[in-house]
Amino acid sequence: MPKSATDKRHFIIAAALVAVTTVLMDILLKAVLPLPIQASLEALTIDALIGWHLSLIAFLFSLIVVFMLYSIVVFRKRPGDNSDGEHFEGNTTLEIIWTVVPLIAVIIFAFYGINTLAEVTRSEPNEVVVKVNGFQWGWSFEYDGVLSPEMVIPVDQRVRLEMNTRDVIHSFWIPEMRVKQDLVPGQETILRFTPIVTGEYTLACAELCGRSHWSMLAPVRVVSASEFDQWLAQRRAEQNPALVQAGPDTE
Amino acid sequence: MSAATAHAVAAAHAGHHGDHHAPAVDNYKEQLRNNRLGLWLFFISETFLFGGLLAVRFFLWGDHRPELDQFIGLLVTSVLLLSSFTMNLAEKGMEHGDMKTFSRGLLATAVLGTIFLLGVLVFEWGLFPAIYQGHLTPWDNVYGAVVFAMTGMHALHVLSGIVFIFIVWRLGRQGHYTPQRHWGVEACAIYWHFVDLVWIFFYPALYLIGTPVH
Amino acid sequence: MSLMSLGLVRGLIGQALGTLAGLFLVTLIRVLAGMDPIWAEEPAWVTGAVLGVIGFLIGVGALTDWAKWTVGIPTPLHHGPPVGKPAWVRYFSVDYNHKVIGIQYGVTGLLMLMIGGAFAVIFRTELSRTGLQFLSADTYNTLLSMHGWAALMAILLGIGGMANYLVPLMLGAEDMAFPRLNAFAYWLNVPSIVLLMTSLFFGWDGGWTVYPPLSVIGSVGYQFVFYSIFTLGLSSVLGSLNLIATILRMRPPGMTLFRMPIFCWAILATSMIQLTATQLIGLAFLMVSFERLLGMGFFDFEKGGTPILFQHLFWFYSHPAVYIFVLPGLGIISEILPVFARKPLFGYRWIALSSLAIALVGFLVWGHHMFTSGYAEYLRVPFMLATLLVAVPTGVKFFSWLGTIWGGRLTFPTPMLFVLGAISVFLIGGLSGPILATVASDLHLHDSYFVVGHFHATIFGGFTFPFFAAIYYWYPKITGRMYNEAMGKLHFWIMTPAFWMMSIGQMSVGVMGMRRRIADYDPALGVEFGHILVTIAGFAIAFSILIMIYNLLHSAEVGKVAGANPWRSRSPEWQIPSPVPEHSFAAPIAVVGEPYDYGLPNSTYIRMAGAAGDD
Ligand code: HEA
Ligand code: HEA
Ligand code: CUA
Ligand SMILES: [Cu+2]
Repeated sequence: MPKSATDKRHFIIAAALVAVTTVLMDILLKAVLPLPIQASLEALTIDALIGWHLSLIAFLFSLIVVFMLYSIVVFRKRPGDNSDGEHFEGNTTLEIIWTVVPLIAVIIFAFYGINTLAEVTRSEPNEVVVKVNGFQWGWSFEYDGVLSPEMVIPVDQRVRLEMNTRDVIHSFWIPEMRVKQDLVPGQETILRFTPIVTGEYTLACAELCGRSHWSMLAPVRVVSASEFDQWLAQRRAEQNPALVQAGPDTE
Repeated sequence: MSAATAHAVAAAHAGHHGDHHAPAVDNYKEQLRNNRLGLWLFFISETFLFGGLLAVRFFLWGDHRPELDQFIGLLVTSVLLLSSFTMNLAEKGMEHGDMKTFSRGLLATAVLGTIFLLGVLVFEWGLFPAIYQGHLTPWDNVYGAVVFAMTGMHALHVLSGIVFIFIVWRLGRQGHYTPQRHWGVEACAIYWHFVDLVWIFFYPALYLIGTPVH
Repeated sequence: MSLMSLGLVRGLIGQALGTLAGLFLVTLIRVLAGMDPIWAEEPAWVTGAVLGVIGFLIGVGALTDWAKWTVGIPTPLHHGPPVGKPAWVRYFSVDYNHKVIGIQYGVTGLLMLMIGGAFAVIFRTELSRTGLQFLSADTYNTLLSMHGWAALMAILLGIGGMANYLVPLMLGAEDMAFPRLNAFAYWLNVPSIVLLMTSLFFGWDGGWTVYPPLSVIGSVGYQFVFYSIFTLGLSSVLGSLNLIATILRMRPPGMTLFRMPIFCWAILATSMIQLTATQLIGLAFLMVSFERLLGMGFFDFEKGGTPILFQHLFWFYSHPAVYIFVLPGLGIISEILPVFARKPLFGYRWIALSSLAIALVGFLVWGHHMFTSGYAEYLRVPFMLATLLVAVPTGVKFFSWLGTIWGGRLTFPTPMLFVLGAISVFLIGGLSGPILATVASDLHLHDSYFVVGHFHATIFGGFTFPFFAAIYYWYPKITGRMYNEAMGKLHFWIMTPAFWMMSIGQMSVGVMGMRRRIADYDPALGVEFGHILVTIAGFAIAFSILIMIYNLLHSAEVGKVAGANPWRSRSPEWQIPSPVPEHSFAAPIAVVGEPYDYGLPNSTYIRMAGAAGDD
């Protein structure tokens, strides 16, 4: 082992260890933090962002912990050695480097974050509009006058939720879709996403809203466009039989 | 928070006795500097309280305001401003050992402060409808709510200031202060000016800025 | 000796009487005014709560001196143990010595940590399986909310303990700038705790964030929480005012700001936040309280208000508050590392100034808790930018710590283990911050257990681990005896792995879709295994803390005598006898060198007048 703490060899060994641990940490992190299936376009975008974050975490965590463990092992006091450590009080160049480099890193992530945000909140001309109403403790959905206790939406089309509540704050979250938005009394909030995988999901309220917050759930079905039209027509007919004669109104 | 008196009294108190007993600081001048710093730190803290109320006002009202009685607003504001002068007289009186000016100044300040309070409580709040019917209630809408919150919090400070004035006035008459050592008087005066200053920000926010709504 | 000679007992009686007086007063007024019904719980309990706090302060004697002053009776500052009573009585009564007050804060803090932790292990037991086993949904919500506030109270008290005990000693000062105010600020906390505990009996379910409208329509228990936290906040304001004044004014000759022990910088930065931001949570809670009492519609959309306003006011305090929690802990890390590395603190100025930078930037980021709240969309990006910026000064601390241990002669007694543990734990907590800060990723993670994992890691790394390190490190200074090293290490080696399991487990279930603040969860999420691990870890942490408590109590009697300076530290408090005498410094000190010049021969930090100087 090199004697002086500023010997290059220390840094080379530590750097090699950092590289190895970064890879291991990256794998490990992604294994212990399994995201739900990617059922929307937003999930793809957001998961990519989360993935980059996790890699950055893997690197920074390894960087600091490896250097720390290295010091612990290599620079521990040996029995019988009563001397003090080497005397250096700081190094301005180093301080500037580890201020500026993280600054650049966060600026890069900020840019990336802004782009992702713009991507997941963008609007499209032909959006399927669902009016969502949250209440203590349940959900109801309205499609242009048609009411439904479950949310049914067509796959591959952008959905725009217009959300309202009258009692307390609730929050709309389908983990597989990744996006979330609070419902605020006295104000309409908007949430958009584009489902890409048909199937059944659960909508859950994510904002503490009282006793049965935990069970404020609603079924969500993502179906093909034709199934959706069919379902909507059927609901409409059930709620207003007079309309059946006039033929299904597609929209 | 409204431990205004508690702290101001505390700071004043430390000064009063620091000269003889506090072993932490053996010299009156040192303790005086501590006290001044303490009081100013307290004002910084209070600034966030009143700043928060102003922020609430602008958040909820934007560029609107309720219709308040402009005459009363102007009147109580002038009264309060005037009270800062009398307070200053009192302090100067103490500095020059002029006990007469000291106690008259303090009493005048307390009277003006009380007029201010009455103006707010009787007229703006309409606490005594027999005398004057108020325009707003705290529960009807945010206009009333914010007016009551801002004037209420400020009135609480004026009230504690008046209590403080009476304590200092009594102690002064009992001969607890000298022209050289009268931190209690100084603290009371600065506190009063501070409460006054707050109103200088509250008055336009309540009465002048924005278009009136009905 | 009668029980009544304990200030605490008198205070509690005072609080009970004050509360009764409040109930009576309101009822009397209603009777006289002919109001119907005669019993109105809301105003009665609020008046009771407020008068109860005043009753406590009168009973305990925290107002006595000031009351005497108002009528001109001289009140000499009594310094020393009570006359004619056993010495321990002073810890249960008003005492102006900062060391006594520091211990009072610290012990109360530990107690609250145990109470808050006990709530956690109870509701964790419920969560270990799906289905509601032994808690109702209401009880779950109450316990969870109580856990949040009890634990946060524990932090503020713990910080108060460290700051009050250490800052004057580190400055070589006789006491704080305002000893009476110091005692007053401490004693505010006790009625505050009583109020919080009372709220348990009424039940309240808002979580620690108590967002309206939920907190407006909930039980009267909320009012107790509001006034409890208001009282706690008042204590924060006055305590921090005192600390700032002490640090700015009571330094010995030669101790420039950049020659203070680094912990004082951390406390300075923390106190600046506490002094100012605290007002906003006080205001917010008062506003909800009055919305409940009088129907003032600040947060009621039907009256033109909005619940979002509350969130702004709340987070304007509560975000900076999280930096209140960590800055002192990070200061402890910076303080202890050089001692056990036998090397100077790397980049002292950078570390000192990074605390200020964190504190200042911390004021501009509160909106990152509100990305999904429905506030104006254009606010999201600036809050994201400001939030990410905080990573930079925090990083400076980490890298400087590495610089400090690199090339040292490291030894690993319990305090050092906790410090190293703190660094690794706070690292994972801090690093899980930016992922929440880039808005889009937060849309998934917000209000999930990922956030729960994030803040347990930051709080444990930034407060709990350093707090324990501080307890072990200064234990010999406080008691004059050494703690039991084997038990200390056992505590560390149980708590650290358990903590990792808990925090990573929380993050893991959160990413999978586990929501916060739910009494039960869907088995289909596949998170049950994770929850079992978290629960086991919670119990293991609780067990390890019990070991520490035993160690601290036991070693105070049988521990080996420590001597003045067992860690060979250069800091002023270690140059005087252990336990610290009533008047800490026999003679005034002067600073003649740098605080952390370990490894530099013949360097001196402080010199005591008359004495031969230090190491
Ligand atoms: C002790 C407390 C503490 C601390 C220190 C922090 C630190 C940080 N926190 Fe945390 N946070 C909480 C306590 C804390 N937090 C709590 C209690 C909540 C939940 C409240 C509730 O809802 O109940 C919360 C919630 C919370 C949210 C909201 C989540 C949500 O509800 O959706 C966000 C979002 O941005 C966030 C971000 C951050 C960031 C960016 C930091 C940063 O300060 C972290 C900075 C540190 C590092 C980044 C690591 C070291 C740095 C380096 C090694 C340099 C290089 C780094 C990079 C280039 C990235 N926190
Ligand atoms: C200091 C801060 C602190 C500490 C130490 C802890 C410690 C723990 N916390 Fe908590 N936690 C918070 C602060 C803290 N927490 C906050 C602010 C929230 C948010 C609340 C909200 O959403 O509103 C939260 C929320 C929270 C949740 C989310 C609940 C939900 O959203 O539904 C969970 C779930 O796992 C949890 C678990 C734990 C566990 C297992 C511990 C363990 O580490 C506990 C270990 C045990 C002890 C420390 C006690 C030790 C001693 C004993 C048990 C002895 C017996 C006691 C007596 C004799 C009195 N905490
Ligand atoms: Cu609705 Cu939670
Ligand atoms: Cu925050």
